Order: sequence, then C-alpha cells, then structure tokens
Amino acid sequence: MLILRTLIFGSEHGQGIARAIQRTSGEELLVEHGALYPALQRLEERGWITAEWGISANNRKARFYSLTDAGRERLGKETTKWKRLTTAIGRILEAEEE
Amino acid sequence: MLRRKRKASDFDAEIKAHIELEAERLQEEGLGEKDARAAARRIFGNTTKARERFYEYGRWLWWDHFWQDLRVGARSLWRAKGLTFTVVMTLALGIGANAAIFSVVRGVLLRPLVNREEDRIIYIRQSAPELSLENMTFSVPEINDLKARATTISAFGDFSTIELTLLGFGEPRLVRAGVVGGSYFEVMGLRPALGRLLSAQDDGPGAASAVVLTYRFWTSAFNSDPTVVGKSIRLGRLTGAIVGVLEPSVPYPADTEIIANMVTSPHHLGATMNTDRTHRMTEIFGRLKPGASVEAARAELTAAHGGIMREHPEAYSARANVRLSVTPLRDQITAPARTILLTLLASAGVVFVIACSNVANLILARSIRREGELAVRAALGASHGALRRTLLAESLALCGSGAILGALLAWPLVSVIARFAARFSVRALEVTVDSAILWVGAGLAIAAAVLLAYAPRLPSSKASTGFGLASGGVRITTGTNRRLRVFATTQIAFSFVLLAAAGMLVAALIALQAANTGYDIRHVLAFDVPGSSPQGVDFFAEVKRRIDELPGVDGVALGSFVPWRDAGRWSVYQFAVEGYTPADGEENPYARPRFVGPGFFPALGIPVLAGRDFTDADRRDGERVVIVSQSIAQRLFPNGDALNRKLWLTESRYELRNRVEPARIVGVAADVDDENVARSRAMTIYYPYRQFALGPVNRLFVRASGDPYALVPAVTRIIREVSPERPVERPATLEDVRAEVLEPERMNTFVVSGFAGIALLIAVVGVSGVLAFSVSARTREFGVRLAVGATPQNLLAGVLWDGVRIAAIGIVAGAAGSFALASVAERFFGAVRLPGALPLIGAAAALIGAASVASLIPAARASRVDVTQALRSQ
Repeated sequence: MLILRTLIFGSEHGQGIARAIQRTSGEELLVEHGALYPALQRLEERGWITAEWGISANNRKARFYSLTDAGRERLGKETTKWKRLTTAIGRILEAEEE
Repeated sequence: MLRRKRKASDFDAEIKAHIELEAERLQEEGLGEKDARAAARRIFGNTTKARERFYEYGRWLWWDHFWQDLRVGARSLWRAKGLTFTVVMTLALGIGANAAIFSVVRGVLLRPLVNREEDRIIYIRQSAPELSLENMTFSVPEINDLKARATTISAFGDFSTIELTLLGFGEPRLVRAGVVGGSYFEVMGLRPALGRLLSAQDDGPGAASAVVLTYRFWTSAFNSDPTVVGKSIRLGRLTGAIVGVLEPSVPYPADTEIIANMVTSPHHLGATMNTDRTHRMTEIFGRLKPGASVEAARAELTAAHGGIMREHPEAYSARANVRLSVTPLRDQITAPARTILLTLLASAGVVFVIACSNVANLILARSIRREGELAVRAALGASHGALRRTLLAESLALCGSGAILGALLAWPLVSVIARFAARFSVRALEVTVDSAILWVGAGLAIAAAVLLAYAPRLPSSKASTGFGLASGGVRITTGTNRRLRVFATTQIAFSFVLLAAAGMLVAALIALQAANTGYDIRHVLAFDVPGSSPQGVDFFAEVKRRIDELPGVDGVALGSFVPWRDAGRWSVYQFAVEGYTPADGEENPYARPRFVGPGFFPALGIPVLAGRDFTDADRRDGERVVIVSQSIAQRLFPNGDALNRKLWLTESRYELRNRVEPARIVGVAADVDDENVARSRAMTIYYPYRQFALGPVNRLFVRASGDPYALVPAVTRIIREVSPERPVERPATLEDVRAEVLEPERMNTFVVSGFAGIALLIAVVGVSGVLAFSVSARTREFGVRLAVGATPQNLLAGVLWDGVRIAAIGIVAGAAGSFALASVAERFFGAVRLPGALPLIGAAAALIGAASVASLIPAARASRVDVTQALRSQ
C-alpha cells in the first residue's frame, strides 16, 4: 500500500521509492531496500503497477515503476480499509483509557 | 510458471542500478565514494536473498527441483548401465505382458457384441455327449415342432451351412454360405452396412434368390465396392442378387462368406431337408419375449424337446441320451475362452508382482551403496521430502522407460495372444491394440515407481555422528536375507517346472513332425475339386488322362479325403467279414470308409501288401470289390488269408439303406492314419468310387517327381479345360497340409516356451538381485577377509557358488513339486505325460548356467571391494 501511495506522485525507481518511504514516514520506517523488491514483483504481477527502463535524474539507467488505473483503484480501497481499521483500534484504545 | 518471465539478468541489472543510485545519493549527502558504496550495499540488504526470492516467486519449486533430479537421475542411471538395462527389461516384460493380455481379455470377454439387445438372444443346441456328438444340430421338422411349442420365444432364427460354387467373379471358387430363414437377422439384431438384410419377404419357394455378403468377404473379395448391391452372382446353377452387406460382427455359428435365403440352395427346398426328421444340419437361435428370462425359456424348451423325443423315438438313437442346452449368445461365444484368458491374466499379474519385487531387490541393493551420498545430502540440509523426490525421479525414469518399452512390446504380444485365444473364441480375431494398453502400462509404471521410491529407508536424524554417516543401520537382518533367498529359490523352482514342460512339448512336436506317416508327403499334391461338370463328361477319367501326360507327373488319382485336413468328414461304420465272428461279448468291428479311384495307392506312396490295386475294370457294372487296411487283415485273420473273402457293412443307418451289398476283398494296403496327427492303428476299408460312395468324391492327388507346386498351374488349367465351372481349391502338398494341422500344437509349444523363457529371465534377475543385495550388505565382511589374506578370486568364487547353490536347491524343489503336481493331476485328469530325462536335464542345465551368469556381476563386485573403504564403512 505504501508503495502504491508513493507512486501517486509519479513514476519512480526502486531506490527512489525506498528513500521516499523513509523520508515521508519521518525516518520512522527503515527497511532493507532489498526487501522492497518482492513486493514490487507482486504488485507488478497483479497489474497494479507497470515498469519500464528509463534514465534517472543523474543520467543513470534505472527501472521506473508507475501506477496503473487498477492500481489507483486498489490504493483507494486499501486506504479506506486501513483508515477504518485504525479508527476502530483508536476507539478501543481511547475507551480503555477512560 | 508458464508466463513470460522476466529474466534474472534483468533483475540483477535493476539491483545494481539501485545500489549505484543509493551510493550516489549518499555521496551527495557527504560520504566518501568507497564508504558510500559500502553503506549502499548494507542498506540494500542481502542481494543473494533478493535474487533468490525473485527467482522463486511464482515458480512451483517442487516441480522445478524434480526436473533437475530427473536429469541427475538419468545421468546416474546411464552410468549404471547393467542395472538399468535389467530393470527396464524386467519391467517392460511385466508391463507389456499385462497390457497385452488385458487388451485381449477386454476385447473378448468384456466388449459388448454389436447385436442389438444381445442379452435377449439365446442359442439352442442339442447334443449327445456319450456319442461324442457335441452339436447334433436340428432337422427342419424338429425345429417346426419346437417353434410350435415355445411361448417364451418371440422369434426363432435358423442357420445352416452349405458350400456353393461362386462363378462370374474371377476364378470359380468355393464359398461357404449360411442359409437362413427370413427371421434370422431380426432375431440376431444385426444391421446392414450397405443395402438391406434378408427378411420375411425372402422366405418361401416363390421368392427371388437373395444374397447378403459378410463384411469381411466384401472387403477382401469385392474390395469394398459400394456398387455391389443389386449385382447378380451365379452360385452353382442358380443366379441370385446381392441385396446388401452385413455389418462387421462375430461370425457365429460359422464363418461364412455369404448368407443367402432358402431359395438359393435347392437342397433346402427338397423333401429330404423338410420332411426327414433325422436329416440334421441346422442351428437355431431365439429372441426372448419381453419379460421372459433365459431360465424360463430353458425350462420350457427342455420340456418341449423331451416331448418331441418321446413322440418320435425312431429319430433318436437309444444309446444317445440326447439333451438340450440353452445359452445366452454372448456366453456361448466367449465361454470357452473365459477360463484360459482369466488364467492368463492372473499369471500375468503374478509375473508382474514378481518382476517388481525383483526390481525392488536390485534397487535396494543399489541404494545401500548410495547410503553415503544420501546421508551427506541430509547433513547438508536436504529434507526427507527432497531426498524422496530424488529417489522418485530416478525410479520414475526407470519405470517410465520400462513402461514405454512394455507398451511397444505389447503390440506384437497382442497378436500372438489373440491368435492363441482364437482357438477358443472367434471374437479373439477382432482384438486390436487400443489405448487401454497405454493407460494400463502407465498406471502400472507409476505404481511401481512410487513403490520403489518409498522402499529404501532414509538416513534418520538420529544417525550417529562422525564417519558413521552411512548408518541407516544394518537393515539386512538374517531374516531379510533368508526371505529373499527363499523367494529366489521359489522363482527357480517355478522356472524349472515351466522349462521342463516346454522341453517336453518341444520334444513331442519334433517327434510328431518327424514321424513316419505312411505317405510320401513331400511329393504328393492334393486338390479340392468340388462342384459339378458339364453333362456327359467323365470328369475324372478325362482329367486323369491329361494330367498323366504332363512331364514331371508320376501318378494321378482321385480320392474322397485329404489326410488330416478332411478329418471328421466321415464317421466309422460297423462291418463284418465272412469267416470272422467276433469274440463273445464283442460287437462287430468299426472301420473308416474311403472312396478312391485306380492308382490311389501308388500315387500316395502307400504300399499294397497283398493282392491288387483297383483298376478301371472295377466299375458300377462289375463285381463289387474292396481293399482293406493291414490292421483289418491282421486283426481279423492273423494267419493271413483275408483275401477273397466277402465283406459288408452292417450299419442300419439311413444313408446305407439299400446299398450294403457284400464286396470281395481283393487287396491289403499298409496302414495309414489320415485322421489323427499322431499315428494309431486304423482300420480302413477302401471302395472304388465308381461302385460305391457315401458322399462327393472330389479330392485329386498328383504325385510329382520334382517340385510339386510347379505343377499347380498346369493342373489347374487342365481342370478348367475339362470343366470350366469347377473351383480348384487349396492346392497343397501333404507335407504342408500336415504342417497346417500341426499348427495348434505348435502354438501351444510356442506359448508355453514363451512363458518358460519369461520365468527363466525373472528367476535369473531374482538370483542376481539376491546376490547383489547380499554382497552389498557384506562389504565389511569382504574387506575383513581380504585383509586377512583371501584373494579376490576367493570372494568371486564364493559368491558364484552361492548363486549355483540357490539354483540347485530351486531345481530340486521344482522337480519334487512337479512330481507331486503330476500325481495330483493324474488323479483328476487321467494319465499325464511326464517329461523324459532329456527335457529335465536340459532344464536343469539351463537354470544352473543362467544362475551362474546372473551371479557374475555381484561376484565381480565382491572381488573388487576396496579393503580400506570396506573396513571404514559402518
């Protein structure tokens, strides 16, 4: 889901995605970059992202991933589900505090 | 797994790009180049793991590994060629034999008939087993009586066989014709492949002559010509029209070329056929009424038949004890074959199980030697599942090749077995190889492979450490070894019995083929020349005169009976001779009648021991004369004065009424046995055909000085010139006739020898397996013995001796077993032929020789044991 979200802003290569997640989470989520790739593979197989070799900002070859329409739709669904889950958990936690 | 995959190299490139980008980024943030690179790699994580996960994603790994194992297994099997070959061949034999026999069983016993509603068709037969008349057939008055009294049968179909000469289609030829009533095809539920079949409209003396071709005849003689319907054909003196072609179906009760209506056969319309209660030649079928059962029909028909017999006692011989049998059609066609085929199937199954166990032995022996390898792999992390998979791949490779080879083997095997089964059931001729074979083969192979893969025990996790890696433990307990030995010994015993039986049959066959028949079989050509001649022509006198003039002809004669081929054509008749009275309590003796022309005896090479041969003077208006065989002269007149006595037949049977004039014995001919293949004393009376004949005299014999077959065209031409519409059928030397008659014996011998051969092979493999197993288990012992001074030759000899000992015990057991079997069989079946010394010795020698050869490989392996390796194992 995080990957899909990152790609909303445009296509990005693997390293860029890793950095973006790190940065946007406020350095809270530090992952091994290599661990991203199985997820990318899965998303690609399911047709939610597509990939193409391209040139990066510094003139290096890299494989760029972009969101598909189906992927966008999926992101919407997943985000809604996530929000509902966290709201529910939040309510339980708050109720306990009282 | 089958989608278009992204290449691994592509992903590698992506990883590399990622790391470089990260390194660049870190450099921008202030790290030095080397540090940035190192940090980038660290942040990425384990590249190998990433690559592995990429590779594994979406792949069914088990399958992937399996293919790998298959390749590795195939390679290692290729290295062990001897074992592979033996196992593959054993499996091929087992699978092939089973698949072939199963095909035949399915084709003969299980396949439904093409006849519509076949379970409502019954076959009715009357027989007199005490007179050796298995099938008396019926006469028309008898059938009419049965028809009138049967309420459980909705319709009867009748079928009789006659021979007619077919003219106008190439050479005149003799065809067998089934003559049927209009209801026959309806009762049998058959359909036409072309045109129509006979029906009620073709009944009665006023109908036109109509003929239906059988399917096989249509394809062979008419080349499946679709325009054949409506054509007219000449049969003897009549002309008939072809109205249709019958669909392919089982030819029962007789294999005929055509099926015709009654009008086509003048005999069928005559008084004899229709009024004489004892003139029997027709078979009947019935179709049950809806709701009637076979049992009900049987009860009713038997009662009706009993009533008919009581009303007309003169038509039934008192001694005969005639009885009626009613069988469903399918049972009648398949029953004789059922026992044989099921026995074959059972034996093939047993053979397969034995073959598999032998194969398992061999594989087990091999896996003992591989224990080390398996243990190392287990230690390196292979799971039990992975190890099983390796074993499974290898055993599948083996069994798969065995199955493919077996399927190939099954093809010719099916034709051999079908030919053998055809003696018992006509359906066997239609058996073809079908895909059932492949399924059976594949199923058997997979079953075998799985069994083999799970047989070896894998290294357990409780293995002791250190160099005791191969410690699945000594699973060769003495119990196992003894069990295996007993098994191998049993196989040898079995093979011995089969080999002895085969040897016996082969010896008997050779004796039969070499026996002196009493004829000069190599130089005499025999022809069937049935049919009739134009008016006023003395066919045989003319033909004889002309053939005599041909170069290379030593003699020509007419006869009524081709030896062995015409067996059963006439029965025996009682006779009396003046001056001979049978002893008290004995009846008049029985003899076979033969009707011959002058020159018969010299033409066939039968010596006339006393008196004279027939001459042209022995004609209808002359004195009645006969020639008797030696056994008559010797038995009735031991002091040798049989000549010039009067002889007459004393039978009161219908055919002989008014024709039993006494005749004078003018000659004595040497004994020949023309009915049985194995010679016996045969009392024969020869009549000159012009004076007396009980049936058509239409066999021609030509004695050649050179190659008899070279005369066939000339003789045929002469016969055609004299009598253009006579078929000339089946020219063959007596030698070839005899060979053809011996065919069933040959078939039997072949089949039993085949079984014996297979049993021998299996036993050999069994011995080899036992020894291989034992040698593998005794590696340490051999090492010790080598270390204390034994030579490799000692070890080799020891193992060889072991093998021979197993064989010897097996042979003794087999001999004892077969004697016991023979005495048991004697009690049930009467005298049983025991093999002479020669087949027994031959079988024993063959087995010992085979066992020695089988022992060589394990023995060689024993002698090549490396002392240090052996001492270290375990």
